[in-house]
Amino acid sequence: MEISAAIREAFVLLFTGDAELWRIIWVSIKTSIISLLIASPFAILAGYLMASFRFPGRKILIWLTQVSLSFPTVLIGLMLYLLLSRQGPLGSFHWLFSQKGIIAGQVLIGLPVLVAFTLACVQAADPRLAETSVTLGASRFRVMMTVLKEVRFGVMAAIINGFGRILSEVGCALMVGGNIARETRTITTAIALETSKGEFAQGIALGILLIAVALVINGVLMLIQGEAHTSGVAL
Amino acid sequence: MTPILTITGLKKRFGDRELLNIDEFSLEPAHSYVLAGPNGAGKTTLLRILSGLETCEIASASFLGKPVSLSPYPRMLRNEIVYVHQHPVMFSSSIAENIGYGLRSRGVPKAEFKALVEESMQWAGVEHLRGHKPNTLSGGEKQRVALARARVLKPKVLLLDEPTSSLDGAAKEQVIELIPSLAREGCSVLIASHDADLINLSGSTRLVLRNGRIESL
Repeated sequence: MEISAAIREAFVLLFTGDAELWRIIWVSIKTSIISLLIASPFAILAGYLMASFRFPGRKILIWLTQVSLSFPTVLIGLMLYLLLSRQGPLGSFHWLFSQKGIIAGQVLIGLPVLVAFTLACVQAADPRLAETSVTLGASRFRVMMTVLKEVRFGVMAAIINGFGRILSEVGCALMVGGNIARETRTITTAIALETSKGEFAQGIALGILLIAVALVINGVLMLIQGEAHTSGVAL
Repeated sequence: MTPILTITGLKKRFGDRELLNIDEFSLEPAHSYVLAGPNGAGKTTLLRILSGLETCEIASASFLGKPVSLSPYPRMLRNEIVYVHQHPVMFSSSIAENIGYGLRSRGVPKAEFKALVEESMQWAGVEHLRGHKPNTLSGGEKQRVALARARVLKPKVLLLDEPTSSLDGAAKEQVIELIPSLAREGCSVLIASHDADLINLSGSTRLVLRNGRIESL
């Protein structure tokens, strides 16, 4: 099939409201948002603590976080597969080939991105912020919330990047989710499947949708960021 | 009169270099002190130690006659000693919220919070800045907001690090005018400064930090 014909057919599929297509989109958005909601609080806390405090093993932890940024998602999928398989230590959870399994994988994939970005933006924050907060009598928790509020644009960048990595990953979702129709088929695993069958129109339609979902969710996050995009020097 | 704060045998080293070696030093209540000394003499470090932002070796310390530790720094001292940076940083909230930041940490009720913030804004002459964004303030305005933010907590000791260093003209005068009233309100003020106008501040005790030791001028 010609590329132009595939694109035309892709738009037809999109605008005819194909139920199968919308189910795939729903699974993708649902699993990505749930995993982001699970990973973000832990990762932001971990990033803040690693940036703000000196403790034994801190450098090793930072090193491991940075190394895990370059782990292929298929490797994370393989490790999770072994853990969740019937004979594996977490087999009793029955999460393999389920949305819970996909979410577990996405949490593991998103965590290092969120931690690394939060760590970087808290490390780059003006140290006087925390010091002023401390000397004005704030509790440790309030100092943390103050600093995170001041670096909120960086934290939002962490969340946006984490979401991007989660939404676009394919290897882990394929291995742990199993690409089961109407259950664990996500946009990326569906693209892989349709392309392997030669169904380029379906693959392109899903690709367009993946970009659209990314645009909408990043747009919402940018709106939340607010003034970050109105500042800067007029050139 | 019992000093507010007394320290004995304070030592601070950075690697092989001994920056501070103070045998004894005390602050009387409701009095201002100006600590002069060359760059790198350790003025800021001393202020940071007294506010718990730096650690040191210390033989003993007492607050209002009662023995205290400076490391770890107790909550009680945190509530009584406030440090203001040379270039104060503003939080990205309103000016009133900046001034009331410490009050929120102390759980001051809403009605009292508003009254205290308002009174401190008037004291510092920053009530006209109410609607401004903190990042649009000038250096002098930031310094006055920072002074109001510290003063609203009614600390027993206020540590000011070079409060006029980047100011000139009217902005400097406005900051200097505020300092004597702090001592009159019962606060002991220790100012680290090179500024001749501050060193000659009437009614204050002039000290100099030289070779790690504090001497009277």
